[in-house]
Amino acid sequence: MATIVLDQVTKRFPDGELAVQDISLEIADGEFIILVGPSGCGKSTTLNMVAGLEGITSGVLRIDGDRVNERPPQDRDLAMVFQSYALYPHMSVRDNIAFPLKLARVGKTVIEARVADTARTLDLTDLLDRKPATLSGGQRQRVAMGRAIVRSPKAFLMDEPLSNLDATLRVQMQMQMSRLQKQLGTTTVYVTHDQTEAMRLGDRVAVMRKGVIQQVGAPQFVYEHPANLFVAGFIGSPAMNFLPAQLEDGALSSVLGELRLSDRIRRSLEATHAPRKVIMGLRPEHFEDALLVQPCVREQGLTFFAQVEVLESMGSDKYAHFSLEGEQARAAELIVDAGTAGGPGAGQLVTRLSTGSAAAEEEKIQVWFDPEQVQVFDPSDGRNLTAWERK
Amino acid sequence: MTGTRERKAWWAVADVVILVYALVPVLWIASLSFKPPRAIADGRFVPSEFTWSNYQQVFQLDLFTSALRNSIGIALIATALSVVIGTLAAYAIARLSFPGKKQLVGVTLLVAMFPQMSLISPLFDIERSVGLFDTWAGLVLPYIAFSLPLAVYTLSAFFREIPWELEKAARMDGATPFQAFHNVILPLAAPGVFTTAILVFIFCWNDFLFAASLTATTTSETATVAITNFAGASQFDEPTGSIAAAALLLTIPTTLFVLLSQRRIVAGLTAGAMKG
Repeated sequence: MATIVLDQVTKRFPDGELAVQDISLEIADGEFIILVGPSGCGKSTTLNMVAGLEGITSGVLRIDGDRVNERPPQDRDLAMVFQSYALYPHMSVRDNIAFPLKLARVGKTVIEARVADTARTLDLTDLLDRKPATLSGGQRQRVAMGRAIVRSPKAFLMDEPLSNLDATLRVQMQMQMSRLQKQLGTTTVYVTHDQTEAMRLGDRVAVMRKGVIQQVGAPQFVYEHPANLFVAGFIGSPAMNFLPAQLEDGALSSVLGELRLSDRIRRSLEATHAPRKVIMGLRPEHFEDALLVQPCVREQGLTFFAQVEVLESMGSDKYAHFSLEGEQARAAELIVDAGTAGGPGAGQLVTRLSTGSAAAEEEKIQVWFDPEQVQVFDPSDGRNLTAWERK
Repeated sequence: MTGTRERKAWWAVADVVILVYALVPVLWIASLSFKPPRAIADGRFVPSEFTWSNYQQVFQLDLFTSALRNSIGIALIATALSVVIGTLAAYAIARLSFPGKKQLVGVTLLVAMFPQMSLISPLFDIERSVGLFDTWAGLVLPYIAFSLPLAVYTLSAFFREIPWELEKAARMDGATPFQAFHNVILPLAAPGVFTTAILVFIFCWNDFLFAASLTATTTSETATVAITNFAGASQFDEPTGSIAAAALLLTIPTTLFVLLSQRRIVAGLTAGAMKG
């Protein structure tokens, strides 16, 4: 049980590369926080600094209020789960799990009881005498978890612990991990590049890019109110669509036509001194087949006709892809970076329609967009102009 | 089908050629060691008369028994020290970055390439003046010096193969750097340590140059030197039979050492550490 506070922590490698820049983050006792971002964004370096495996160039790291910058990893009482699991291959599963306790000079009978307990929790009892080489990926992952939880550390640090598992097992383990974390109530810092995993697991997520935290907040909040273009593009799957637009008389005009802004958004844009040229962000899930929308609602929204290029039926919904003409949202390095999250190609518009839609490939349909859900960004610095009031 | 059979046949031929090439001299010496003095020069591969007298003679010589003791003692001490120092040095080279690392590796290589012959007379003078001449330490020290490059090179290759994250994991589990090294890294490097030990042991055991130059009496003379000092039963007798017997005896400790260590050289010891 611990609080972890990073106060303006910076990491500069000996070769001068600035890996992490001025990160300030307060992690509450028992919180499950996710550091998420594309590869090379500094999330693993941040985790390693908390662990003590990586030195801190400047700033202060406090665990339970004590400055621990100079404390070696073995004295921080944190447990870590690695992406590669890093099981000791020459030890049995039992010895792997018991290793932290042996180092802590815990009595033999206590060790036996704790290992048996942990094995029961993680369903490893039958595997205790096996060597890691004979285990499957999922089993190895559980052993790595067991080694972490067996000594009840102050906090868990997890470095992409599930990314080596296949999709089904990963989702299963995510649920188990989430349940385990709640049951143990141990502070957890979890690093992943997978934004769906971040959304699913975290109490809060911290989105990072190029060594800087872009936004910290509850997954739902970050999804609904992304602080900037990068977060908007990175969080959410399929990714948000970005279109250049002109702001005139309380309406946004773009290749899709004119979108009348609600009072709330108009006030927000005024308060943030929005420029005339903006980038608007439209999430695929806020589109709908216009035929399925009540006429009175449809009239308030943005509607346009377009030809379906590709239609993906996912069972629960349909993803319709459209090809857009005209100028693209140029930009923004921020969008390009976020593209690693699986965004649409340039000139593509992705929409999610209900299964009731009669849309078919190569056919023209009318699509509706919910005007309340539009996000407006400043193209010069990428900041979200519609999210000011909720800061 | 015929393709594989043909290939197998060729392999068999190659194996036999290599075996014969390697074993004939050894078998020849074995044959000599069982021949009585008058039959030594008969040129027969299989002795016509069979005798243990050469072996009995060898063990009656104080010269040889003390030399065997010296050889075993000196080689074991030199091997142990060389492997311990080599392990620590190799670990540092494989895992840490420190100023002068490249130079250190370069100098190590230089030592390995230095012609040992050219060092004999200075070493002789030095050992005489500091009182190391004709002592165990007088041989152990140069053996360590000349086997260390070999040890460091072999071991650092093994250390580089060990996944770095295991050490991080051990540190996170509460191990001090030394505990992590001792409990996790070293057991995984065991095959490398034993391989290195075998190589160093053979080097020390077989050395003649240093042993012949830096020893004088039975207090430190090693077996390789003692054999050359063998005399025949009379001054007209060639000691060929006893030399052959002693030479054969000398291969036994090395063979035992290799066989015992071989059990520890298990390939794929690090399997299962990683996602696999």
